[in-house]
Amino acid sequence: MRSGDAGVSYPDPARSWIGAAPVRFVATLLLVLLVYGFSFYFVDFDVGRLWSGLPKLAHWAAKAWPPDTSELGVLIERAIETVAMAVVGTTIGVVIATPCCILAAQNITPSRLLYTPMRWFLNALRGIDSFIFALLFVAAVGLGPFAGVLGIGLHSAGTIAKLWSEAIEAVEPGPLEAAALTGANRLKVISYALLPDVLPNLTSITLYVWEFNVRSSTVLGVVGAGGIGQELKNSVDLLDFARLFTIILIILAMVTAIDQFSAWLRRRLV
Amino acid sequence: MTAMFATDPAIRIIGLSKRFGDRIVLDDVSFEVAAGEVVAILGASGAGKTTLFRCVTRLAQSDGGQIFLGEHAIRTLGGRQLSTARSEIGLIFQQFNLIRRLNALDNVLVGRLGEVATWRVMLRRFPHPDRQLALAALDRVGMLPYALQRADRLSGGQQQRVAIARALAQQSRFVLADEPVASLDPESAKSVLSILRDIARTHDCRPRQSAPGRVCAIQFADRVIGLRAGRMIADRAAAAFAEADHRMIFAT
Repeated sequence: MRSGDAGVSYPDPARSWIGAAPVRFVATLLLVLLVYGFSFYFVDFDVGRLWSGLPKLAHWAAKAWPPDTSELGVLIERAIETVAMAVVGTTIGVVIATPCCILAAQNITPSRLLYTPMRWFLNALRGIDSFIFALLFVAAVGLGPFAGVLGIGLHSAGTIAKLWSEAIEAVEPGPLEAAALTGANRLKVISYALLPDVLPNLTSITLYVWEFNVRSSTVLGVVGAGGIGQELKNSVDLLDFARLFTIILIILAMVTAIDQFSAWLRRRLV
Repeated sequence: MTAMFATDPAIRIIGLSKRFGDRIVLDDVSFEVAAGEVVAILGASGAGKTTLFRCVTRLAQSDGGQIFLGEHAIRTLGGRQLSTARSEIGLIFQQFNLIRRLNALDNVLVGRLGEVATWRVMLRRFPHPDRQLALAALDRVGMLPYALQRADRLSGGQQQRVAIARALAQQSRFVLADEPVASLDPESAKSVLSILRDIARTHDCRPRQSAPGRVCAIQFADRVIGLRAGRMIADRAAAAFAEADHRMIFAT
């Protein structure tokens, strides 16, 4: 039975998208178009240039086949160096993040006065990419993977501490409260009541950041901070496309393997 | 129901008041819990039982009045003194508040955190007497066979029994239980209440509380205090508690 049949008519709030506020709709549409217009203008977007560059790319791709495997041993060694950079860099990040995340988690911070500056500091670390840090460290400590490791360490410290403190803040307050009310000090509460609950989560976050760091270490070589990226840049500079192709294949295999491994480990943790 | 038990120095609450903005949650509440006495505090939800519990433990600061747990003037303590005073209160919560990923025994050992050295806690190396105490507490609530079971694998009633064991292991002079059976099924509630009553009788210290299962609550207490909209409207010996009192406390 339709309501109309009974002589009752309900006020119907349904409105079409545009109908409810046509002025706002048109204004939004104009704003979006404006943002796109400016953005495309600023990036010099030019399909014509892409079109004329295509034969060049095709020519290179043709020269890249078959991949040059004469230096496979060296390249694999550099790939291992890249993974090692991610391992050491992430570890440096963890070491810096551990005290920071306690200050930056609202539910366990010993002082509100330290909480806000710590958040800013972590945002700054996170806001500056490993790449930029590495660039500075190359200038300070010289070329090579050590500069890359320091760059990854600083940037990851910000990311890890932020993600960790968010995981800590999401923890149920009840058990912590119960432990604190037995007269236990903060260190006891954190190590005994908080850690067992959040540890799997924190480990999972760390693995995720490590996985991300493997990917970012592959490009650090471009600024002279070691790893397979350095070989990649050499090959591009020498227009040695067969070698470049091998390097790209190695990076793909490495990143895929690491991602799968880390995802498997994280699934087992939680 | 919220319940309080005390050993020799009594609990004294004098003219306690608490408001959240314009809403008065506790209005001039005064009563004493004598040594060895169990007081059940009854009231509909929103009557102020949990707020009272939070004020007594200083999880919330009251706006006026005084609270004495033995010699401790709870309202004015701070820092280390507050944490010493708190270590003398065993707490039982509606939501148990166990650490989910730790087993029952490790949860009971939380009751020893105030006493054991920090480095030992961090390494999880509790002294032998503390572990024995925790095992005895588990045995006391009938949970010894589950000592190595993870807390989140236990039923609600079992979790509450572990939480009671935690309060026992703390060897506190006072026990406060806030709605200890409110989130349990009737059968588990009965067994938890009978354990609480047993502890109150035989342990050197006894609990205080609030519950919908009023028959149980009254059987378990020596005295009943009725709260309604933040005011004390009844204070009777449990034996004298009548149907009329119940109606008055829970009237809508």
